[in-house]
Amino acid sequence: MGSALSQHISRGVERVLRLYGWFTRIKCLEYDRLAQVLVPLGSDMVDVAVIGAGQTKYGNHQLGLKGMWAEAAENAFSSVDKNFDPHQVDEAFIGSVAFGGAQLGNTAALLTEHSGLDGIPVRRVENACASSGFALRDAWMAIKSGQADIVVAGGIEKMNDLSAERKRFWLGVSGDTEWERLAGLTFPGTYALMARRHFHEHESSHDDLVHISVKNHMHGFDNEQAHLRKQVSFDKAENGFMVADPLTLYDCCPTSDGASCVILAADHVVRQFTDDPVWVRSSGAASDRLALHDRPSITQLLATQKASQSAYSAAGLTANDVDLAEVHDCFTIAELMATEDLGFSEHGQGGIFAREGNGIRNEGSVCINPSGGLKSKGHPLGATGTGQAVEVFKQLRGSVENTRQVRDAEIGLTHNVGGSGATCAVHIFGRDRNV
Amino acid sequence: MSENQHWKGYLVVEAEDSLYIQSPYVHEEKIVYGPDSDSTTMAVAAIQLMQINGHQINAIHLPESIDASTVYLATGVDSPFHNDELEFDEIKWDVLAGDEATLVVAKVDTEICDFDAPQDVEIIDAEFHNDMGEAWCLEQSTSNVSQGAYVSQSQYLEGARARLSLASQNVDGNLIWPPRQLDSLGRRLPSESELLIGKAKVESWTKLSAAGAPSEFSLRAPILGGLQTLLVSFEQGPRGVFLVTDDVDYSPVIGDIVHFAVRKIYAQEGIIRYGLKAIPVRQ
Repeated sequence: MGSALSQHISRGVERVLRLYGWFTRIKCLEYDRLAQVLVPLGSDMVDVAVIGAGQTKYGNHQLGLKGMWAEAAENAFSSVDKNFDPHQVDEAFIGSVAFGGAQLGNTAALLTEHSGLDGIPVRRVENACASSGFALRDAWMAIKSGQADIVVAGGIEKMNDLSAERKRFWLGVSGDTEWERLAGLTFPGTYALMARRHFHEHESSHDDLVHISVKNHMHGFDNEQAHLRKQVSFDKAENGFMVADPLTLYDCCPTSDGASCVILAADHVVRQFTDDPVWVRSSGAASDRLALHDRPSITQLLATQKASQSAYSAAGLTANDVDLAEVHDCFTIAELMATEDLGFSEHGQGGIFAREGNGIRNEGSVCINPSGGLKSKGHPLGATGTGQAVEVFKQLRGSVENTRQVRDAEIGLTHNVGGSGATCAVHIFGRDRNV
Repeated sequence: MSENQHWKGYLVVEAEDSLYIQSPYVHEEKIVYGPDSDSTTMAVAAIQLMQINGHQINAIHLPESIDASTVYLATGVDSPFHNDELEFDEIKWDVLAGDEATLVVAKVDTEICDFDAPQDVEIIDAEFHNDMGEAWCLEQSTSNVSQGAYVSQSQYLEGARARLSLASQNVDGNLIWPPRQLDSLGRRLPSESELLIGKAKVESWTKLSAAGAPSEFSLRAPILGGLQTLLVSFEQGPRGVFLVTDDVDYSPVIGDIVHFAVRKIYAQEGIIRYGLKAIPVRQ
């Protein structure tokens, strides 16, 4: 009760201060000091919005790291409706696994140097395939804490400029190296173990995974940014080359090059740049044990459950409120489990959910992976998380290709997983500000 | 006087104070090692059987070809190559290596009797045998180094005892394996003190295509047609993932029972890394 009252009071005082800051555009010392005192009293003092977002096409790029990042940043900058230039950015967080080691250290400094962001605090965020999901969270936190007003969150990965032999050394580096890798496992293998166990414990089968593959290829077919723009028949997906029994080629995402960039702004500066922001309603994140054998269950990702519960709770929403979700389908079984862990279906019912045609664009209550997901849009590891946010930003603003627009979407969710579930970031976005 | 039996994928003949062990594979009329065995893995199996049969083996003489550290970590049996402070007179047991893939473990004062060679041998496919031999040679070369993911020697050794002997940590009666460091209160967990029962149940499995195999296995996975991995649960609770011994043609079923044997996992920078692999229990 006391906590709620103090939050209420602090929000009121903070709004006055925000107005003060808004009209004067002066960040006086007193304001900063007061904000520091008030931050602990109210956990959500500053609301955060996405004001711009852009990415490269995913796939096999001729461009190198600098070129790809510049293209994504340029697309994000130009998507801001008015008055934006990169010198206004206070800080940047860039997710990357630094696959192949091309610029393993100081990745963010190199990239921002080539995108008009010289001199600001920057860092690479590494959390495997969830790197830029966590970069987005870090950017959101930087604004929420009052330390920054405009922050760039992005991600990048260059995966297809390595020889097949060198690539083999880098695939699976985010799994449990000491035990799982030495038992012959890379990620197709770990997800195959999950799939077979899910089939054993629940009413699910490989056919359910095929439904997911077909859906995501259908969604990605119209996405100009997607890596694999081709429709796939049920028969073809069912009989693909066996990669890791029971997962076939059509259950696995491609290895993609790509970069993505999102620009976040504090509520008191948003209207300088757009009258049509997409609000970050909440951010949730969690971690779990790295190796499958150290977890109590391998048919659910506890990190996803925790992260999504945290995000739903902070946003005051449930899974039923979500109109579209960009879900981390590095393998089709990952999407099946995510539909359960995110609450779109009951635990163990993900197979039935897919089999009944749920998740298809404009055919049910929620569209899952309108971009085509990692399966079709592609999976440039470090770029995937903010790439999901780019898709949600555009979908909620109604600016994707007409053929693939999710109608009347108000709430979008991104779900970005690192490895086989060791890390997870979930973000909820809305057309309306959370006030 | 002697009895033939299968033990951890090898053929064994036991006598009172000695044991003969050999690979079950034959190539050009010679007994040869299988795709993931060598004299070290066979010595470990032999010593473990002697221990199960009640022999107290504290220290043993090993031929130079056998990795003394692996033998110690897997069996607890010391040897001069592992511990140079051992007194020669303290050592009551010998491992003698034959010309082919055979070993004898015997008390030092035992007169080695003639063992009847086991008949239950299998002719190994010549092309497979040669290809695997060449692959292991390349893999064991000092120039075979990682260009990415890497388990260093110290990281390997940190978990080697648990990896080779299933030694687990006992925390208030609950066994933890593989070993962990601090608990949720920030207290350091005890070191491994209790061996897991060496049988487990298959919870899931996969066969990964050669193209998707980790780089450590890239030379051998194409010859094997992929890598088969089992996720198993031990009766005492812990779970683990294991390759299958000899890469046998095994179609697992969830619920199958397996036991374990020390085998070669991979080699890098001239060093072989050993670990446990699963053997399906014969029905």
